[in-house]
Amino acid sequence: MPIIELQEVSKLYGFGDATTVALDEISLKIDEGEFVAVMGPSGCGKSTLMNLIGLLDRPTHGRYALHNKPVERLNASRRAKIRRDTIGFVFQFFNLLPRLTVIENVALPLAYKSLGSRGRIKQAMNMLERVGLTGREFYFPRHLSGGQAQCVAIARALVNNPKIIIADEPTGNLDSASSRLVMELLSEIHKTGNTILFVTHNPELTRYATRVVYMHDGAIVQDEQTRIGEIAATARKVMYTLPVKTEEDDLEGVSTLMHALPHKEAAKSVRNTKAGKKKPAARRRAAAKGKK
Amino acid sequence: MSAMMRGNLRMAMSGVKGARWRSLLTMTGVIVGIVSVVTVIGIGEGVKRQVSEQVSHFGKDLITIRPGTMAKDHSLTSAGETDAVFGMGTISGLTTTDVKTVQRAEGTGTVAPLGVVSGAVDVDGRTYTATPVLATSFDLPDALNQKMAFGDFWDNNSSSAQTAVIGHDVAADLFEENVPLGRKFTLRGQTFVVRGVLNAFPEVPFSPTSSFDDAIFIPYQTAANITNNDANIYAILVKPEDPKALNDTVAAITADLKKSHGDQQDFNVLKPGQAAENGSSVVRLLTTWITAVAAISLFIGGVGIMNVMLLNVTERMHEIGVRKAIGATSRQILGQFMLEATVLSVLGGVIGILLSLAVDGLLYAYTDLKPVISWQAIVIATGVSLVVGIVFGTAPAIKAARKDPIEALRHE
Repeated sequence: MPIIELQEVSKLYGFGDATTVALDEISLKIDEGEFVAVMGPSGCGKSTLMNLIGLLDRPTHGRYALHNKPVERLNASRRAKIRRDTIGFVFQFFNLLPRLTVIENVALPLAYKSLGSRGRIKQAMNMLERVGLTGREFYFPRHLSGGQAQCVAIARALVNNPKIIIADEPTGNLDSASSRLVMELLSEIHKTGNTILFVTHNPELTRYATRVVYMHDGAIVQDEQTRIGEIAATARKVMYTLPVKTEEDDLEGVSTLMHALPHKEAAKSVRNTKAGKKKPAARRRAAAKGKK
Repeated sequence: MSAMMRGNLRMAMSGVKGARWRSLLTMTGVIVGIVSVVTVIGIGEGVKRQVSEQVSHFGKDLITIRPGTMAKDHSLTSAGETDAVFGMGTISGLTTTDVKTVQRAEGTGTVAPLGVVSGAVDVDGRTYTATPVLATSFDLPDALNQKMAFGDFWDNNSSSAQTAVIGHDVAADLFEENVPLGRKFTLRGQTFVVRGVLNAFPEVPFSPTSSFDDAIFIPYQTAANITNNDANIYAILVKPEDPKALNDTVAAITADLKKSHGDQQDFNVLKPGQAAENGSSVVRLLTTWITAVAAISLFIGGVGIMNVMLLNVTERMHEIGVRKAIGATSRQILGQFMLEATVLSVLGGVIGILLSLAVDGLLYAYTDLKPVISWQAIVIATGVSLVVGIVFGTAPAIKAARKDPIEALRHE
């Protein structure tokens, strides 16, 4: 029985001539316990899809059933309560509240459930232990490394014991070691029965998934079952076949091609010309190549 | 208090602490407003207490007759208030005939006119122009329940003698001794002998009786002689023979005076308390002004809080998005920002209350006003600041609560 069921869901922005189709009649069923990777070029609607599934947004057309209950027309307050109880969010930029300590950040969703402070602290402590951050309870987010901050964000997403975890590029801002840490953690969570959806640009990370969904121009172009531990077949291919959309993708494509070539020096020179924030991705790719 | 609210309260407090200067500046309007509110209530309470002390001192049956008209509720109209400040309301005096009419009215006991004698007082060659000289009858101590400190008041036999009784402060100010009995002074070329010193009167700011401590009293007949019957009577004090017949006596006096004034009610017959209240009309004017200041500064303070909260909401848009994403309902976000606004204004209120203690202390020390800080004033001040926070915090909180989570998350 699917836990998430989308039927011909569309999301449009703007009016009249200026209408943009972000999602184009998407139908998708996700069963309980799946570990789904969503891939595709920038602007293809991955994040919009995640927001819709996560009930942060409402579809313009189509039907959405969560646990077999229609949720596409719920009001903001009902959606907030479902988010609180069944969905955990992990973001690319962690989105921890800077003025709260680690433990307060993790316990925050419980506060919206009106749980007493003792209960909140206890559950948050358990979660921090689970993500391996015991001893950092009273640090502020600025005192943590990127990987640690993302682990805290995962702990926060898990603290309400949600059935579904939605992670929008959870490793997009992390170096390869931290990425691995975060993905291993998500993998652990998946083993306990949670359904996980994550967006990634990195084909390497499809190793953790049981299913990979490829998107392009607001539509699902391929849906592939895959085995844990293996990079999805299309994932490797798709990097070369998907048309480039932006300058960033252009650079991405070029650097990927460079990696495929045996000249290390050439790869390095491309890496150096890229913006600072792209560095981890390049390093990640280099690491992936090293593994091979 | 729910756990949620406690958490929000702690957040709000840490927010205030984190931006100390900003918070303090935001609270300034509320602080000034609350200081004004507490001071106004304090002054009002103080004057009320002083008036009631005065009434209990003078007796609950003292009738005061004043020239001029008065609104039905016995409060002066706004035009009347300025008149009272400049003394215009007392220009048309009562006359000796009026005194006689009152004396003849049914049920009246002691009758003491109060007239102003113009002229400077000369003591040992020094001239004092600011010392009021009042012409009255020997019934004055009876009418006001006032005891003598030294010496005695003149009696029926010496009511046209050149003798005087002085107020408590005159002894030290003019004669530079505590008991200047037998000392002489000159007024309008006539020499007067001091035969008594009155006890101090209860202090009531701006009340005509408080200046009695600085006044010299001379017999009314003497005053009429030296001023060619020109002693301007600004009040007649009357005590009924039977204190229980107060209302009947007031009615009888009113009827008789009206008859003798050709059916014109150009005078007022006031019961105890009413007279003192009118005396405090300057206090009322002051109170009105401070209330206006309080209202304006509270409004400005509220707008300041609204402004800072709007800024706060914009600055923390991303946080709002995150909170909504992890399950905060719009109502919970609304509550959080309302609470923050309220914390700001109530904190301003608390600082205002503390400051007003200092202000009232200064007033107590340096003026005739004796403000009283009551728990009611503190409750009202806290309530007012709470209301300001809620009223002016609502718009920014609604803005925060209505924000679409995705849009808010995109905000950096």
